[in-house]
Amino acid sequence: MDALFQLLNGFGDALAPMNLVFAAIGVLLGTAVGVLPGIGPALTVALLLPVTFKMDPGGSLIMFAGIYYGGMYGGSTTAILLNTPGEAASVVTAIEGNQMARKGRGGPALATAAIGSFVAALIATIGLAFLAPILVKIAVRFGPWDYFGLMLIAFVTVSATFGSSPLRGLTSLGIGLWLGLIGIDQLTGQTRLAFGIPNLFDGIEVTTLAVGLFAIGEALHVASRHLFAPEKPIPIKGSIWMTASDWRRSWKPWLRGAGIGFPIGALPAGGAEIPTFLSYTTERKLSRHPEEFGQGAIEGVAGPEAANNASAAGSLVPLLTLGLPTSATAAVMLAGFQQYNIQPGPLLFVQHASLVWALIASLFIANIMLLVLNLPLVGLWVQLLKIPLPWLYAGILLFATMGTIAANPSVVELLLLSGFGVLGFVMRRYDYPVAPAIVGLILGPMADSQLRRALQMSQGDPMILLQHPGSATMIGIALVALVAPFVFKGLSRFRQDED
Amino acid sequence: MSIFTRGLSAACLAVLTALSPAVAQDLELTITAPAGAGGGWDAAARSLQETMVKTGNAKSVQVVNVPGAGGTVGLAQFVQSAKGAKDQLLVGGITMVGAIITNKSPVDLDDVTPIARLTGDPLVVVVPKDSKIQTLADLMAAIKADVAGTIWAGGSAGGADHILSALITQAAGADPSKVNYVAYSGGGEALAAMLGGQVTAGISGYGEWQGQIESGDLRALAISYPEPIEGIAAQPLKAQGVDVELVNWRGVFAGPDLADADKQALATAVEKTVKSPEWQEVLKARGWSDYYAPADEFKAFVASENERVHATLKSIGLAE
Amino acid sequence: MATEIHRGIHHGLHRPTVIIGLGLIALAAVTWNDARGMTIRANYGVGADAASYFVALFLAVLGLGHLIAAFRPGIEADEADWGAVAWIGLALAGLIGAIWAGFGFILGSTLLFAFTARAFGRRALIVDLLFGAVLSTAIFLLFNKLLQLALPLGPLERLI
Repeated sequence: MDALFQLLNGFGDALAPMNLVFAAIGVLLGTAVGVLPGIGPALTVALLLPVTFKMDPGGSLIMFAGIYYGGMYGGSTTAILLNTPGEAASVVTAIEGNQMARKGRGGPALATAAIGSFVAALIATIGLAFLAPILVKIAVRFGPWDYFGLMLIAFVTVSATFGSSPLRGLTSLGIGLWLGLIGIDQLTGQTRLAFGIPNLFDGIEVTTLAVGLFAIGEALHVASRHLFAPEKPIPIKGSIWMTASDWRRSWKPWLRGAGIGFPIGALPAGGAEIPTFLSYTTERKLSRHPEEFGQGAIEGVAGPEAANNASAAGSLVPLLTLGLPTSATAAVMLAGFQQYNIQPGPLLFVQHASLVWALIASLFIANIMLLVLNLPLVGLWVQLLKIPLPWLYAGILLFATMGTIAANPSVVELLLLSGFGVLGFVMRRYDYPVAPAIVGLILGPMADSQLRRALQMSQGDPMILLQHPGSATMIGIALVALVAPFVFKGLSRFRQDED
Repeated sequence: MSIFTRGLSAACLAVLTALSPAVAQDLELTITAPAGAGGGWDAAARSLQETMVKTGNAKSVQVVNVPGAGGTVGLAQFVQSAKGAKDQLLVGGITMVGAIITNKSPVDLDDVTPIARLTGDPLVVVVPKDSKIQTLADLMAAIKADVAGTIWAGGSAGGADHILSALITQAAGADPSKVNYVAYSGGGEALAAMLGGQVTAGISGYGEWQGQIESGDLRALAISYPEPIEGIAAQPLKAQGVDVELVNWRGVFAGPDLADADKQALATAVEKTVKSPEWQEVLKARGWSDYYAPADEFKAFVASENERVHATLKSIGLAE
Repeated sequence: MATEIHRGIHHGLHRPTVIIGLGLIALAAVTWNDARGMTIRANYGVGADAASYFVALFLAVLGLGHLIAAFRPGIEADEADWGAVAWIGLALAGLIGAIWAGFGFILGSTLLFAFTARAFGRRALIVDLLFGAVLSTAIFLLFNKLLQLALPLGPLERLI
């Protein structure tokens, strides 16, 4: 129970009035900047890093914790209300969340996201405090073959985001995979499909595609339909708070989301997106209301949002215990540590014990502050939808492009963004789901690299994928998940869905 | 909303105090970091920004990030926008030399004016702690015996880590084009592969893996610096009889067609900055080694590095 | 969306589906060709071209699927107000043009804002231009001055 004692000490440090103020400022700034579409948590933390330069390490790291959790949370707000995910991990949230908002249930959607994030982050932070040393030993054993197995499972689960037509869903996925090929291949340095344009060498940014497909595509689509079916500002029906039924339907997805998000977030190459896909599929499979999925099922918001935040805490496991930044956000955090000459790594818990535990304690505090801040804000955010449509969409486009300009001020990037906007418009117009394209862009390059790393290590022998029990099991699960629906339902269903 | 505005103004204060300059010279500088926020070049640009303003060698400094393609996107933009400009600097390094060659970039470092070499960090060759390989000699023997089975982990293809693995393979008497080098997106992911024991050996900047080396999770066999470094137990490759050296250097460049007086002014401002105690503190905090060289020496150095990197990339099959 | 009632059912050859199908096949051809031109080979395992070939085949199959599906009865796309779409196109072009020509972030974002509002039926272009200018100036100040983030500078921004 040494950890518990240390944690209590950490709370002693973090609860100092000045540190509480730092945490509050961090949470506010993180949420305020993270809410902007196109500005994900990594950029949020990078932007706000200089703000912490002048403080002592303790205060600065505590503010940092607030910014991190705040930025992580901010992405879901715009996804739900405006169908504009601020970052890749909020894409799944937009699917059900925006449908809920359209039915006047934006309040409960935001509330389940806020409370779910809180619950998940709480569980995951406890996990971080007590399980980190064990978890990290398992995590580094994960070889490229195992990652490839995990990717396969994720690919199969993508079918849950396909909508009604497999052909259209697969096409969307295919476009995402194609976009994922663009750029310099990390393993060999070979350029793929860049056509000599240097700005394409680093590949397509996921946020550029997500913001283009969702925000700009949506704006084009709504504008094109405006004359014929004017969208009225969405009415807010009933309470903006969650009903008893909402609570009943939310609490299990929160817990499951946390259970999926934390361990995958702790994997060195796990990421925050895969857990949200897996959580969405899980909830869809387990739900008693599967027909509501795609129409605004609250489980589809509760689970992925919980998974997203749990993975954020999970990614601190390898960062703090190994000094291993597993996401762009964690890499920026690492830079934050280094400016105080603190090297995260195996010795961190020994050399800077009080600092680490104060940080973990402030994660708890930041988490509570986020909830306190965001629940009252739900009412305010929902009012956003009352802005007259022309100004609402003008504002969305302004912030969406600003995010891109801020991250990379190049004309090529803006042209890509606009191009993806047109693509999103065409896809909406002809009923192609947009989420699989983003999933393809995320998973495609990961699966490609991991498979080839595995084959490089085995000097070309594909049997390596089956020789490791972990990857063999996961590939088996993926196969079963792929084949089972056909076996049970038969091919007739497939044909029926075709149109 | 009052809490919110108060929070913002507090942050505003923090930023403003961070920026209050000690005005001495009226140089208003823009430094281009040809990479995104958080990386080594970004850190170098921002450290230079901070120190130049603090030491009064510039009135104000703005950092612009132009990420992409190993720095070649930023380089191309810089060559265009900084022609003859006396207030523009670009951060670059050995990775850029490699990226220019492998990406067949239309502009190269001959198109810019070298101002100063700033830092040079050693790369380190490590093995997992459970590895049978105890010394550098063991590793060299393993490479010679089975070059395909000796799996390396490190940063992206064609980068400094990859180049060093090829140089070592060649020095071991094996064919460098046969090196089995597994590229990862950064020191972090490669580190996981090392700790998981999935690869034979790994290469990274010493600073990145310092924690794991000191804790004993990784065994450092050698560093790539020409001389031993104080505080680092691992000895240079050269001192252990392997005639290979590679320094991960960073430097600053000005635009093309610069007037001699303007070049001199920039070089002086940078020289004064890096000779200051404030810069020494930055080096210490960041774990960087001083590798300063003035403009003319730096120019010759860039030319020789270009030749050497090109030859090595050719031997790996990444360049013609 | 498929549940909206005003959509007609289409019979005979569905042209958009044919066009998308042909587009996918063209994309597949480009990808295949790109993969064939790759010069760097992997020493061990498979090279960077493998994924390209895989995606090219996948897209080709999907393209064929579209060509077959085009002969089935499908749902007509909704009517569209192309004028509004053009205004948004103009809005994006305004932003990109302003950045490209070095006129800066504020001007570009102002144009983007006002033209987008116009696309959604607002007629008060002057008011919207002013409102957009105020909004983008506020954003510029927040990011450039407070957060030290370099948004593109033009003549306007240099004055501030």
